[in-house]
Amino acid sequence: MDFALSREQLMFKKEVVNFAKKEIVPRVREYDLKEAFDFESFRKLGEFGILGLHFPEKYGGEGADVVTTVVAGEALGEAGVDGGLTLSYGAHSFLCADTILCHATEAQKQKYLPKLATGEMIGCMGLSEPDAGSDVASLKTTAERVGDHYVLNGTKMWITNGPIADVAVIYAKTQPELQHAGISAFIVEKGTQGFSAGPPLIKMGVRSSQTSELVFNDCEIPLKNLLGKEGEGFLMAMQTVEWDRSALLSPFIGSAAFLLKKCAGYAKGRVQFGRPIGQFQAIKHKLADIRIFGEAARALIYRVAWCKDQGRSLNHLEASVAKLFIGEWSLSPTNDAVALHGGYGFTHEFDVERIFRDSRLAPIGGGTSEIQKKIISKLM
Amino acid sequence: MNFDFTEAEMQFFNNLQQMLRQFGEGRNPETRDLDGVRRNTRDALAVLSTSGYLNLGLDHAGMNSGGTLQLMAAMEIVAAFSQSLFLSIEMSTHLFGRILFAWGQGDPIARALLSLKQGKLLGAVALSEKTLNVENDPMDTRGVLKGDHVSIDGSKQYVVNGPIADWIAVVGKFHDSHAIFLVKNGTRGLEKHERIQTLGYEGAAICPMRFDDCRIPADQVIIPPDGEDVLAMLRLWENQILVGACLGMMTSSFEAAKAYAHAHQSGGKPIVAYQEVAFKLAEMLTLDQTSRLLAYRAAWMSDVNPAEAPSLTLCAKVFCAESAERVAGQALQILAGHGYQLGNKAESAFRCAKYAQIAGTSTEIARVKIGDEALGYV
Repeated sequence: MDFALSREQLMFKKEVVNFAKKEIVPRVREYDLKEAFDFESFRKLGEFGILGLHFPEKYGGEGADVVTTVVAGEALGEAGVDGGLTLSYGAHSFLCADTILCHATEAQKQKYLPKLATGEMIGCMGLSEPDAGSDVASLKTTAERVGDHYVLNGTKMWITNGPIADVAVIYAKTQPELQHAGISAFIVEKGTQGFSAGPPLIKMGVRSSQTSELVFNDCEIPLKNLLGKEGEGFLMAMQTVEWDRSALLSPFIGSAAFLLKKCAGYAKGRVQFGRPIGQFQAIKHKLADIRIFGEAARALIYRVAWCKDQGRSLNHLEASVAKLFIGEWSLSPTNDAVALHGGYGFTHEFDVERIFRDSRLAPIGGGTSEIQKKIISKLM
Repeated sequence: MNFDFTEAEMQFFNNLQQMLRQFGEGRNPETRDLDGVRRNTRDALAVLSTSGYLNLGLDHAGMNSGGTLQLMAAMEIVAAFSQSLFLSIEMSTHLFGRILFAWGQGDPIARALLSLKQGKLLGAVALSEKTLNVENDPMDTRGVLKGDHVSIDGSKQYVVNGPIADWIAVVGKFHDSHAIFLVKNGTRGLEKHERIQTLGYEGAAICPMRFDDCRIPADQVIIPPDGEDVLAMLRLWENQILVGACLGMMTSSFEAAKAYAHAHQSGGKPIVAYQEVAFKLAEMLTLDQTSRLLAYRAAWMSDVNPAEAPSLTLCAKVFCAESAERVAGQALQILAGHGYQLGNKAESAFRCAKYAQIAGTSTEIARVKIGDEALGYV
């Protein structure tokens, strides 16, 4: 057992932190407050190589392993990049692009992946529906094969990058009577007739990511847009879960370090009763809890990533444990960070307020805490 | 990065588990009876001496540079078997023993270390004093050179193994520096007080003791090298032991609750079929796995980057100790009436978990230290 990152990974982490602090973080507050997607930052993530980090070089990627991809996510969080942008990156690179990377034909990969790697194209993934979130088997969106095309009908909900995506990986039922086994995955491009996105939802947190519904109304797509074979969609969706519960969660580890630094800095400078509040034990207690959360979460997330790098079969138990821990235990430190800042923590002027709002998605998105408990209790 | 133990390490852990299973047949390792405690501890040391467990962390030829990571995983196995035996064995082997290994010099100490690793010697460490807390208050116990002997005066509280130990490592001041005085059982001037009754760890023998002009040969005084923070090191080792104890508590109480939840029926189905029970188990497992990985990383840090280890170990101790109480409490709840009866793993863990929050570096002081580090105050 060895918990060390390689020298190259540590250097890479430093580079990402420096890059993000210089190129992205200065605009974070502005885009969070105006609830707008920061296209420039997204493009810069592409230029730096983060969007396609784990893609093979021939598709414009860097060929990195999953652990290194987690390092990048941790570094973004540590630099102070907001949860909105890291969520958009995750939905783009892991939920959409990785599914294409793993299951598309060579022609499809050549068509989409290089542009997804640079950020020229933005990707999204459509699985959840108004009446089918965690209960995937009850998807209502259908894909009916008619001649040389499929016809998609239905509505997808809570789709990160929905309003801005150029390409979407959509899950729909080709054989509704087969439940999970009747689900297939398709590539749908923006502008396809019958495909539209709703307006961005106004959200509590992760506000710089754009979320909407996607509507399919007799939307015709060519047969070649089927990913893999009919009926393989559920397994594809499950494969993304490992990303959902490793790289997508990794900014939380970095964010804990960022929070700790911000809170310690504030506590040293804020004077009450004639001394910095950092000298009070109750404040140290909060700082300790923030650190403990980050340290506890770290190995959980890296373990999922490392297992994925070893090519081990879907490690749902470990993945769900990581997701449940981040979801349930990240709320208290972000709450503490706001409390430590007092009234200032309640204003948009301070990063802790945004991080507090962003963290509230953790027990909801990518499978709620309740679903993680259900999975864990079945597998244990 | 690698999250797997080697095959040799796994084999070692499996053997240890099997050995303890056999050892436990027909035996109550949590007996309160002092003769029983003495017998259990001696027998366990004899058995463990054949496994290699007693060498972990005390042998340069360990499975890696320091062996702390392997020790942590092995400690979990012993602690899951019996909390009380674990505490007795660890306070002897990996607290008393580490003092000898890290700082001891000379023949008497080398012989004592060898006997310890052979399972023939039982040690104790007398550290805490009347303030209970050596973080804020100076130590009262002192040794003074008198001819070729050192005379010790002072009082110690809560000495685990105190009533049954062959040797006691007494931490005190000598020439204004911290030193450790090795006192043999039966030395004149050593007065052991009555064994105390405790909430948990009832199968461990704990007592206060007093030293009144207690004279030992000068070569039984261990003086750590200049610059060594003796108290910090002792606390680190003690904290590691308590983290191992917590892992064992969580494993044993979780397994007990899980087995019961599958076996016990209510409303025509096993209670694990109810979300109130299943979700508790899921949360328990999450805390258990998270604690284990954090504990392992802190132990690994001890071996690869000792300067970073104390603070990460404090993080692990706070998290594991509080998780152990929560997991044991949830296990007790699932076991319901069965859990409330004395003599099951959950109730035992529930009682012992509190000790982990108090002993070593208490969770309060640990948080202050972690906070101080974040603030740059240390």
